[in-house]
Amino acid sequence: MEVWDAIWAGLGGAVSWPAFGLMLMAIPIGLVIGIIPGMGGNMGLALLIPFTFGMDPISGFALLLGMHAVVHTGGSIPAILFDTPGTGPNAATCIEGFPMAQKGEAGRALGAALTSSMLGGVLGAVFMALVIPVVRPMVLSFGPPEFFMLAMMGVAFISLMSGNSILKGLMAGGMGLVISFVGMDPQTGVVRFSFGILELMDGINIVTIVVGLFAVAEVIDMGIKGGAIAHSKSPNLKGSGVMQGVKDCFLNWWLVMRCSVIGNIIGIIPGLGGDAAAFICYGHALQTTKRRDEYGKGCVEGVLATDAAHNSKEGGALIPTLAFGVPGSSGMAILLGAFMILGVSPGKEMFTEHLDLVFSMVWVLVFANIIAVAICLPLAGTMAKITFLRTSVMIPFILVCGILGSYLTTSRIGDILITVLFGVIGYGMKKFDYARGPLILGIVLGKIAENALHVSLNLYGMKFIFEPIAFVILLITLATVFFPVYQSYARKKKEARK
Amino acid sequence: MRTKKICLGFVLGALLSLAATVHAAASNPDLDFYKGKTVTYIVSTKTGGGYDTYARLVARYMQKYLPGSKVIVKNVPGAGHIIGANTIYQAAPDGLTIGTFNTGLIYGQIVGQEGIQFDLNKFSWIGKANSETRVFVVGAKTPYKSFKDIMESKSPIKMPSSGVGSEDHNETVILAAALPANFQVVPGYAGKEAEMAILRGEVPAVLGSYTGLSGLIAAKEGRALMQYGSENGIPELNGVPHINSISVSPAGKSMIDLVNSIDVIGRLTAAPPGMPAGRLAVLREAYKKALTDADLIKDAKKYNLGLDPAYGEEVQRLVAAGINQSPDNLKMLRQIIKTD
Repeated sequence: MEVWDAIWAGLGGAVSWPAFGLMLMAIPIGLVIGIIPGMGGNMGLALLIPFTFGMDPISGFALLLGMHAVVHTGGSIPAILFDTPGTGPNAATCIEGFPMAQKGEAGRALGAALTSSMLGGVLGAVFMALVIPVVRPMVLSFGPPEFFMLAMMGVAFISLMSGNSILKGLMAGGMGLVISFVGMDPQTGVVRFSFGILELMDGINIVTIVVGLFAVAEVIDMGIKGGAIAHSKSPNLKGSGVMQGVKDCFLNWWLVMRCSVIGNIIGIIPGLGGDAAAFICYGHALQTTKRRDEYGKGCVEGVLATDAAHNSKEGGALIPTLAFGVPGSSGMAILLGAFMILGVSPGKEMFTEHLDLVFSMVWVLVFANIIAVAICLPLAGTMAKITFLRTSVMIPFILVCGILGSYLTTSRIGDILITVLFGVIGYGMKKFDYARGPLILGIVLGKIAENALHVSLNLYGMKFIFEPIAFVILLITLATVFFPVYQSYARKKKEARK
Repeated sequence: MRTKKICLGFVLGALLSLAATVHAAASNPDLDFYKGKTVTYIVSTKTGGGYDTYARLVARYMQKYLPGSKVIVKNVPGAGHIIGANTIYQAAPDGLTIGTFNTGLIYGQIVGQEGIQFDLNKFSWIGKANSETRVFVVGAKTPYKSFKDIMESKSPIKMPSSGVGSEDHNETVILAAALPANFQVVPGYAGKEAEMAILRGEVPAVLGSYTGLSGLIAAKEGRALMQYGSENGIPELNGVPHINSISVSPAGKSMIDLVNSIDVIGRLTAAPPGMPAGRLAVLREAYKKALTDADLIKDAKKYNLGLDPAYGEEVQRLVAAGINQSPDNLKMLRQIIKTD
């Protein structure tokens, strides 16, 4: 009964004045910050925190959470329209989102992405509320051995993401792995692959690479081919397919639901990060789909999966932040600092005495996600029309947008060169039919895998493989790798018998 | 007669005030230099986060005390503050470039870390804004009740660090040698992962800044057993013994002094070497006025930023005390924190 009271009290808090008004103000800010490549939720928080001084806790986090919850919603828009992810996790949206735009389905992609991120955000918040009783064992059962195995599971997706040639996919994945090694190795303090360039000591930021690999490569391609982003005129430019995208989301509700839960769990476990969440969900969609041939060429399922993931993980990331005072992401670290200024102290009491506060946060997440999409959806059709513009108009715009994003992310001029370099690499990969997804996957998972392996070996030795959850993940990975092999073997045998 | 006196008075007064004006102008050409100039304040990290917040606060108030100037903040992140520190060191010493970086670079200079192109002894030190209190925290479920239990532990105590060569790693290995304590460092826990490791029970203990670990302590998931760095007590750490109360060997003491001094010089501001004395004095004065400005103090409180300022030569002395170790100590330190 008490829980119901807390839910209602939380709702009361979330819709009280001025909290609700502040949240309404925060949502457009979050969307714009998401849309501008290179500006992320962290920057938004840093900008907004000074305004929260003197506010009551609920108003304070209505402002901060309202903004933070919808950043990735906005970030998908440039990812679909220009192949330039607004934030790191939106990189995964590019893989299917932009090819959809090229097919003339930008509106459908936007509709699907927005609706899916809304459902992801809402489901993430609900799931967060549901797991409160089991939060402790859930969060604490994932350590370095499990991270390593999850990363290996992700590596297994490379074979699915490779397109026509598994060999080429593996090559791209291997290259991604090597790129993830650039920088200082935490285990030895040795700087790897930096060629004496100090700026490379920290490694290469994922946004720097993705902007080059996708946006710049696309610009080169467009410059050569001409035309518009969308190669074919959309059959119904009027409705522009936005509603179709919304419908797709509900037709594939089971996929959206699963990806929301996966994203949420990854959010709850600090250490894997938002980039990994979107990619793991993309891999999951690929693995379970019946339309594998369409992937890489603009399949709406891929957009649904990634966008459900990155918004649902925000709810998850709140859990360790509130329960243990340990933030699940860098954004959450800033939020935690703000919460403590507002007088919200983390700990077990959050889920006993201050449960209403927690539910206020859940409600803010729910409302913010719904309202953000309500703002964006009516505009999606107009936004989609951009993809039908002449490339000579679009190229300067995309280049400026992408390079600004690359620079804003790290504030280093040298990173623009890296972006351009990856632009050339990306164009080459596109031309010679190397899938770019595995490369990104290698970069995202390489660091996690290497580090988790070292720490696991350091803590447990080779026995870490037999940590129960890690072992189960390993078995699942092996099954997913070998089951198709067995299937095709069985099929061949059957045919041979015939 | 009377008018004469008044006239004389006026003349005298005018002369005096003229003299005063001339005197003021003559003594402050370096302050006048800043009229219409732009001062760049370099922050060695990305926007957001502690260094950036302090820098923007200090820059805003230094501008107030360098009349006619504009102090802008520029972020030059990378290579664990080394790129920013290099940039400040190599800037023209004209008083138009100042900046901030992590004091932990002292360790890097001692071992001759790759990429360091500066000598901390030669920077023109302007001041520092805070002292950091650091804490040794054990997980709430571990059997350790006091720091004595830690030091007497027969089995190695696994300690997370973000990576070989990082400040927390160096601190852990130096303290292990200085106390001595039986620490086994497990590198690879970036950022908040170390705290998760405490919660999961993978490692029993962690050391870090109180600001960073206060969430864990407030949530009663961890117990602070020892504090070091600044001795300016934090109320929440009342009753937690300071490292200086532990008796150690003389060599150990000097290493602990090094660690303490690095933590005491927090949120520093420095200028390139070879500054003209007058201009450095003006910058130091402006910094001092900024840090004692009532509005800055109010702002710092609002942002939850601690203040424990020190100025000019005192900071220079503190840094020198940290770096200028005896040859024996240097050799030992290089042994302990070498990175291969």
